Amino acid sequence: MTTPMSIPFMPLQLRRLIAAGTVLLAVGMAPFLHATVDDSVSFAYEAALPYYKQGFTIRKDAWGGDLGLHDRKAVSAQLFKGNTYWFLMATEVKGATLSVHIYDDKGNLVEAESWQKGRFAGARVNPKATGTYFAIVQILKSPEDRTTWALVYGYK
Amino acid sequence: MKNFPLLMSLVCLMTLLPARADVPPKKITLSDFPAAAVDEVVVPVPSEIFAVLDKLGNPNWKSQLRDGKARTPEDRARTALLLGNIIAEGFVAVEAEDAERVKEIGRQVLTLADAINVRKSVIARCKSITDKADSRDWKGVRAEFDGALQDVRAAMDELNDRDLSQLVSLGGWLRGTEVLTSIVQSSFSKDGAELLHQPELVNYFDRCIGSMSPRLRKNPLVSHIRDTLRKIGPVVSESGPSITLENVKFIHSLTSEVNQQIVLGSEGN
Repeated sequence: MTTPMSIPFMPLQLRRLIAAGTVLLAVGMAPFLHATVDDSVSFAYEAALPYYKQGFTIRKDAWGGDLGLHDRKAVSAQLFKGNTYWFLMATEVKGATLSVHIYDDKGNLVEAESWQKGRFAGARVNPKATGTYFAIVQILKSPEDRTTWALVYGYK
Repeated sequence: MKNFPLLMSLVCLMTLLPARADVPPKKITLSDFPAAAVDEVVVPVPSEIFAVLDKLGNPNWKSQLRDGKARTPEDRARTALLLGNIIAEGFVAVEAEDAERVKEIGRQVLTLADAINVRKSVIARCKSITDKADSRDWKGVRAEFDGALQDVRAAMDELNDRDLSQLVSLGGWLRGTEVLTSIVQSSFSKDGAELLHQPELVNYFDRCIGSMSPRLRKNPLVSHIRDTLRKIGPVVSESGPSITLENVKFIHSLTSEVNQQIVLGSEGN
């Protein structure tokens, strides 16, 4: 099932989503709003906070959408050798668990470390070469048919 | 009830076992991903590249600054490209630690944003750029320019001007690439040249132009930029991360020429 707030994968602008949410509420669709991506974005920023405190610059943009159980999505990113990156993913769905892992353009797992804790997950990569990388996001467990997710990243 | 001990043992065992372990495969086949599962490239913000350049040495940033002030074009596509271009110029001025130039660029950003109806989105940023330049808070100014770029794009997306929003990014990338190639060729190193290895990003910008409205696609400047991207694409793809000095110079000549047209319009021909 796709919730009324389901949106295709795209860069998110929080204000716009909040505005969209407000409009939906106004037209009486509140009962269908099981999960919203903007809440997931807030959780993703929460996951990023410790890294911000460590000197990472966290991008204001976020990426997200919704996925079915065990579905995977690849987010491609241009990364630069010399920087360190943390990718942080989160969902607002209680009881859901998810994962994010980083692969290079040949499909090799390249992350230096990763973690997964309930609705949060993170992966760090120190690119050995400048080029295209893929953050593979996946819903591991969820009480919902579709689970909203959001991804942010920081660098230093 | 005779199975009770067995049941309890199973319950205990399940409690002790960790939750489904998230062990990622060491290798995946990216081509297995359906097209819908791979989405657009995340375009890096300029400060990601400047963060690396900071670590590569101390180039002569002042010599990279462009002279003069660009006039606001009447053509909205060129205005969007110029806005991205000028924001990228702001990063150069920050690296050169030229407070006056930074403030002037902040004012230009405001003027150009006004011309494409997104002035409101950057007023606070531009004021902050001026304040932080006065107090020589260069890291802060850099963050404000990053923020200005993202705010302008967000405002354009809100206005359903996604095409123009892409042109802002493209304009910034073109000026950033011109400066990067200039710095790399003046003191060539493999690590420096590798920063240009951005094949997917070049293809992405090409695809963006391809999906723009026919009116924009036929805009002579936009069309010329697409031709330029198609010349850069093979250079940064085929050589892998090892980009030669000759290719760095080639990319520099292409981006310089196209940026001149963005700044001067048809006078730049």
